[in-house]
Amino acid sequence: MLEDPSYSAVVRWGDDGDSFVVLENEKFTKHILPKHFKHSNFASFVRQLNKYDFHKVRQNNEDGQQSQYGPNAWEFKHPEFKANSKDTLDNIRRKAPAPRKQGQLSDEQIPIQQIDLMNQQMVAQAQQIQMLEASNHELRINHQSVVQELLRLHRTVVNHDKVMQDVMKYLNGVDAQQRRSSRVVFNTGEPIPNGNTNLTPSSNGAPQIDDDVPASPLQHAQQLMTEYNTDAQMNSHFAGFEQMANSFVPGGQMRGSGSAQSSGSMGYSKMSDGQLEQIVYPTGGTNGIDPTYSDHLPNIPYGMPAVGEKIDAGDLRAKYADTRKKSNYADPGWGRTPRVLLVEDDPTCRQIGTKFLYSFSCTVDTAFDGLEAVSKIQEGGKYDLILMDIIMPNLDGVSACHIIRQFDRTPIVAMTSNIRSDDIQMYFQHGMDDVLPKPFTRKSLLDMLEKHLLHLKKNSMEPPPTIGINPSVTQSSLRDDLSAAASPAGSNGTWNSPSQYSGVSPVNPSISIPYGNYMDTNQQAYNSNPTTPIVARGPGLQMPPGQVGMPNMNQQHRRNASDMMGPGPPIDNAAVKKQRMSGNFQPGSMAAPMRQQ
Amino acid sequence: MPAQYSDARSEEGSTGMPEFGDSIDLATFEQILEMDDDEDEREFSKSIVYDFFSQAETTFEKMDSNLESKDLDQLSALGHFLKGSSATLGLTKLKDSCEKIQHYGAHKDETGANVISDDNVCLKACGKLIKQAKEEFREAEKALRKFYHDE
Repeated sequence: MLEDPSYSAVVRWGDDGDSFVVLENEKFTKHILPKHFKHSNFASFVRQLNKYDFHKVRQNNEDGQQSQYGPNAWEFKHPEFKANSKDTLDNIRRKAPAPRKQGQLSDEQIPIQQIDLMNQQMVAQAQQIQMLEASNHELRINHQSVVQELLRLHRTVVNHDKVMQDVMKYLNGVDAQQRRSSRVVFNTGEPIPNGNTNLTPSSNGAPQIDDDVPASPLQHAQQLMTEYNTDAQMNSHFAGFEQMANSFVPGGQMRGSGSAQSSGSMGYSKMSDGQLEQIVYPTGGTNGIDPTYSDHLPNIPYGMPAVGEKIDAGDLRAKYADTRKKSNYADPGWGRTPRVLLVEDDPTCRQIGTKFLYSFSCTVDTAFDGLEAVSKIQEGGKYDLILMDIIMPNLDGVSACHIIRQFDRTPIVAMTSNIRSDDIQMYFQHGMDDVLPKPFTRKSLLDMLEKHLLHLKKNSMEPPPTIGINPSVTQSSLRDDLSAAASPAGSNGTWNSPSQYSGVSPVNPSISIPYGNYMDTNQQAYNSNPTTPIVARGPGLQMPPGQVGMPNMNQQHRRNASDMMGPGPPIDNAAVKKQRMSGNFQPGSMAAPMRQQ
Repeated sequence: MPAQYSDARSEEGSTGMPEFGDSIDLATFEQILEMDDDEDEREFSKSIVYDFFSQAETTFEKMDSNLESKDLDQLSALGHFLKGSSATLGLTKLKDSCEKIQHYGAHKDETGANVISDDNVCLKACGKLIKQAKEEFREAEKALRKFYHDE
């Protein structure tokens, strides 16, 4: 250090070679000390020197020195410390507590040591403070981002709220319409098979009826709306929202694949469903509002068994054993290859699940845990369906779903063996759409895919197998769904022959307006968040603008409705009723414009 | 149930489905076998099954060490983990044992319905069940290795 010429302006050997001089105290402390010692403290350096028996050469004692090194110079001397004689360095030792060296300093020794100790402590403390500062800074940043996230969540909730209110507004409108027309039907007596002549005049006269009370389920729903604000609760409501439409899906599917009608005749085929309805809902003097109240539901011949099938693995296996042939699982006939994200920590399940999905002509992406799943979605991965294990390391499926739901509406199916009712309720509350009990079978997996990816299916009977959705295909399959869903509306769908639809149609123009409104707000709400555009993904894309909303709503409903069909205890009964109610009206009114084409 | 399995077997008789006894649920396992492109090579199902073997071995080792360190939470998680994969392959007995380990590890009885607060009771039950699970695994492993002509 002393021999380094670059330091010579600051510290160097004394002129005689028997001492060294610190010429510039400050520079020495700042620049040189830290390079050679653990501290940058001149005082402690001096103390150390003292310990090793260096002594400061007092300037006032030696006349010549002062001018020699400058006024601020410190000169230190040690008898054994000489330039060019390194071997004597070994004799420079730390003064031992034992009086091996000069006894004269022994009383200073202890305080010096103590001071040194304190000094070290101070240095350590300074370091600690630095560390604390750093972590404080980090925490502050984290805090900021959490707050931002909260604000964003809040906005999302508000948006949801708005959408729900718009839905309610719309439903109220539809409800009013429906009440008028159904009242008319019942006012004009028991449904007569050729009620054509009755319908048209009476629907014109409908507005005259004054005691226009909203349907009680809707009222109830409105109450609920005002009571609940949180995201999760909204979600569960929404989940139950479309139960009705859903319970009829199987029927629609069966017919769709079983019959080879041209798209033109599709609308008529629903009469077979209509006949079914008559069995289920005996025609009688009902209040005419909702013939599909929950007490009828158990009687529906095809809706409920699907649930049993889902729960009862044994039953499933039995069916599987009967139908087990590779050919049964041929390409389900997607219009476009479905993209599925499989989130599963267990390699065995992941491999098998992937293989099954491949065998159903899906493209599969996998994630090891919830964390990976969330980041995949956040990075903009677009999927048609997410299959999510629940118990996983790092981030469990429910939490992952909860996070994903803040910005994405891709259907998420819980894949788990924990299917107690309270578990399932929790899954739904956090935004999951369905439950696939583990261990899943190929069949249960396929059923799940078909249920949630119906919009990707092309009608198996339609000729063009080309990719890129053929409008006629989507429309006919849509019509399929719609007619299946529409039929439970009973009062109109059941008894009217197709020729009578013209009688109903005057209502339609007014209905289509609320639809437009709904879509606007809906899209607006979606656009404000980076949502997966479920709306745009549906087959409705090819539809005329006025109808864009319908298929998607319908599907959304169906998907959610399936929740309610699950083994979990449904949300409170009144809410369900209201939701059935709405499921009831919507398809009916939606189907009408379709038939006109 | 057994009746259905025998149906299944007679139906598939021509493809020479193995007799696994009751350690493996044939219906579940067969749907994995169906995924094999080549019924002689059985590349896919074999890789899954053999991966499972090593996965199970590792899990058992972890179970043993956590039993020693009396970490019930970990035991429960490990039970759950092995339950999932064994269920997927149709190793029903092993799955049942793993489920019980999962329950006991979570301070519940083997049905998962009632709480057991005594750690020692749970640990003892886990110890017994791990032993049982290992035996069930060996049995299934033997049958599967035989099926894949690797004895």
